[in-house]
Parts: sequence; C-alpha cells; structure tokens
Amino acid sequence: MATITPEIPVLTDEAPEKAAAPKREYPGALVVVEGIDGSGKSTQLYLLKRWLEIGGYRIHFTEWNSSPLVKSATRRGKQRRLLTPTTFSMLHAADFADRCERQILPLLHGGYLVLADRYVYTAFARDAARGCSPRWLRNLYSFAPVPDITFYFRAPLDVAVNRIVAGRPKLKYYEAGMDLGISLDRAESFRIFQERILNNYDQMIETDRFVLMDGTVRVNKLQKQMRQLLAEKINLTHFAPKKKK
Amino acid sequence: MTRNGSSSTDSPNGRSPGGSNGHAKSRARKSAKKGRNGNSDLLSRFYGIPLPGVKPEELSGSLIVVEGTDGSGRSTQISLLTEWLESEGFAVQTMGLRRSFLVGEDIDALLAENTVTRMTLALMYGTDFFDQLERRILPALRSGLIVLADRYIFTLIARAAVRGIGRDYLHGIYEIALRPDLTFWLNVRPEIAFDREFKKSQTISYWESGRDMSLSNDLFQSFIRYQSLVKREFEYLSKRHGFIEMDGEGSVSDVNRVLRKRIASHLGIRSTHYKPSHALQHLWR
Repeated sequence: MATITPEIPVLTDEAPEKAAAPKREYPGALVVVEGIDGSGKSTQLYLLKRWLEIGGYRIHFTEWNSSPLVKSATRRGKQRRLLTPTTFSMLHAADFADRCERQILPLLHGGYLVLADRYVYTAFARDAARGCSPRWLRNLYSFAPVPDITFYFRAPLDVAVNRIVAGRPKLKYYEAGMDLGISLDRAESFRIFQERILNNYDQMIETDRFVLMDGTVRVNKLQKQMRQLLAEKINLTHFAPKKKK
Repeated sequence: MTRNGSSSTDSPNGRSPGGSNGHAKSRARKSAKKGRNGNSDLLSRFYGIPLPGVKPEELSGSLIVVEGTDGSGRSTQISLLTEWLESEGFAVQTMGLRRSFLVGEDIDALLAENTVTRMTLALMYGTDFFDQLERRILPALRSGLIVLADRYIFTLIARAAVRGIGRDYLHGIYEIALRPDLTFWLNVRPEIAFDREFKKSQTISYWESGRDMSLSNDLFQSFIRYQSLVKREFEYLSKRHGFIEMDGEGSVSDVNRVLRKRIASHLGIRSTHYKPSHALQHLWR
C-alpha cells in the first residue's frame, strides 16, 4: 500500500499582510467602492461615473453579480435554497472570474478607468460572515487585479439597515442571511448578518488600504470629497478625451 | 515533497490548531502521520479545514475515487464495482463531473459554446464538485454508504493546471474537500485513449483534445499533446497524493480483479469473487 502523504499547501490563517501595492502591468486603473447595503456606495459611484462620463473619459462601470453566465444557476440555487456557504461563494467567484477575464482585465490592458460597484472584498466580508475560511476566500480570489483605490463607505449599522428596510417591502432569503439560521425574523437576521459583514469590512481597512468614507455625510459633499480623492490618487489625464489634432 | 520544493507552509494535514508557529506545525504534522497510520485522526479526512458545518467524525462511509483520462475505462470499472459491492451488501452512491443539480447543465451549455474562459470554467467545475460533495456525498457518507467517484478533484486540478492556473491556487480551493480513502489512477497512453475514444464516438471532442489551447490544428496531434500534458500533471498528483497507479491498458477483467482486491482489503470483504450479471456481461472483455 502506498503511503498517502498529501501535501496540500496550508497557508497561514492569520489576517493577510498589507496587500501588495497594485502592480502596474497595464495602463488602465481600477476604482472600487465597498461597504454594506445602505452605506451609500452605489449612489456615490453612480455620481462619480456620471461626472467622468459627462467629461468624456474612457471609463467602464461594472457591478458585482452582473454576468449573465451564472444567472440561471444563481436563480435556481436561490429559489430552491440549495446554496451552502461554499457553493454560494464558488458560484460568485465563477461569476466574478467571467467578468474579470472578459471585461475588467481586457479593459485595464486597453487603458480604461474601470469603476467597480463591489469587488472581491464583498466576498471576503460576506462569505466569511457565512462561515467560509478567510484564508480559503483570499486564495479563491487571488487572480483578481488589486484596485488602485478602494473607497470604503461606512455608515453606522442602524443608519444603513434602516435605509434598506425602509425601502424594501421584503428582504430576500439569502440577502437577509436566513441560511445561517441566526433568527427566524428576517429583519433581525438581516441586521445581525450585516453587523458581521460590517465587522469584517472594518478589519480590512488597514490590510487592504481602504479609503474610509463617512456614509452619513451629505451626498453632494461626500461626492466632492470622492472626486478630490480620486484626482489625487489617479492621473485622470490618462483617461481624458483625446484632443483632435 | 512537492515538486516545487516543500515550503514551511506545507503541512499534510490542515492547519495546526495553535496557529502558525513552527513548533505547533511540526507537532501537528507528526500527529497527523500517526493519525493516518492508526486511522484515528478524524481531521485527516480533510486536506485542510473541513467544509463549513461538517463534522468529520460523522462520516462513517468510504470514499473511493477512480481517476483516469477519457478512454481509460473508468466508467466501465465503476459500473462493475457498483454491482460487485451491491452483491456484497454495500450500498453505493456515485458521483462524477457535471452531475450536480446546481450547475451541471450550465457547464454543459458553457462547453457547447466554447467561449468560456479558463478561470471561469475551473470555478464552475469547482461549484459543481462542491454541490455534489455537500448535498450528495456527505449525506451518503454519514449514512455509511460507499461512494464511488468517477473522477474527483484531481481531474479538475490537472485540467486547470495544464491551462496555466497555479497548482497551489487549485490545491487551495480544494483543501476543504474530503480526502478519499482510496484513489485509483487508471493510467493509459494517450494513443490508446485516442483509439478507444474514437471507436466509441467516431470522433474526438473539442475539449478532450484541448482545442481551446491551440496546441495543433490536427485533431490527432492536439489530442495526443493535450492528453500528454494532463498525464504529466497526473504523474505529479500521483506522487503528491499517493494514488494507486494501475495499468489501464489491461483487460477489463484484469483491471477489475486488482480493484476488487484493494477495495476488499480496505472494506474487510473476504471474498473478491465476482462474475458480472447478464446486464453487464458486454463490458467484460
């Protein structure tokens, strides 16, 4: 009998070291917004996108979970409640890989400014809240290009949760984290789930160089800050419309 | 030893409970070794941290994997083994690629289109694998069944690795998978696999010949090169994971006899006598 000596590498389970500075392998740039539901991130990214669009910049906007590739599987899994923390995570990773390989990477190589509403940090925060190992998640998404800037929109839990609950008649099963069996009450389950996600996000502020944005600041004021920070960090002239000679 | 040089982070048996200092690790490694030989370390049923929510001690069944390229005779052997085990009174559950309810059909559709990229395909196969593992295999093992896997994580790792996805990355994904009790590798030369596959379907498929890798415009050349690359990955995996390597070019009955012998000794079955029923007689060559 052959001795069975599998040697699957085991990385450390500690929080990751400071993420490496983005490698400049492409002329494009990647801008990411992250934060829990109701933190105001999508509104702010929308406004940033409009500003850049109107100015004629070379940009592309991409959303988490938007690829048609895995839509049928996600729908099937969610409707029938078949998803486990692992398959939930794998399916989203497959979806992200499709977007990454067919949109994000080609556009970065083509010199675009790519704006992403949620990125891999959403998976790190949310799937870890479901019980997936943080180390396993980091490995799973290690093919993703590191953002040039990640805006982290942070609002107090109550503010964020109330924004969502007020606007939605019914929270969806997975959205509310009902699969975790925390509480039979959807609103209560949602709140606890979001709290776990918020804590996971907070831990990444340092390790992943998040730029902290206060989600309680007035929309137009916050947008002004965001535009300033973007212009400081990224040379926007690279993406500006070319002047006709 | 891994081929790329065993680093200090390599541990055969998941994470050490005390974190990452060197002492804890070497202790964990020692106890893991003892555990395997003494068959008492339940954690060694997983490569690393078990899947969320799984208690290894509940899994009383056995997981037996048959790996091998297309045309290696895997499916034939699994049909025969199923019949033999059932006749011995063991309940059998099978698994294979693209058989999950969650994404099995979606992968078929992706393969038909040929537009899917390598990472997406690798992760869709991974989703398919974990859906079957969690919703079919683990419940079967909890009920004490014998699970016969027609391919396992090794094919998924090999196929992705030949397409340039890192081996460590792939092993990292599957470190939460269940470690098989026995893994058989039916090894056949690519030329023999080609003959068998061609005879079976009168053509050679796009994916089996690795056409997405642009190895050659000639289908035969492409098939041979692709299968040779996969075979090389398997040689590496065989060393790393302790496969029971078998000559897949032997007759069906010869290969089956060896498989029965190894499985019988693992499960404590005394007799390995078996004659296929009338329904399976056509496979017995």
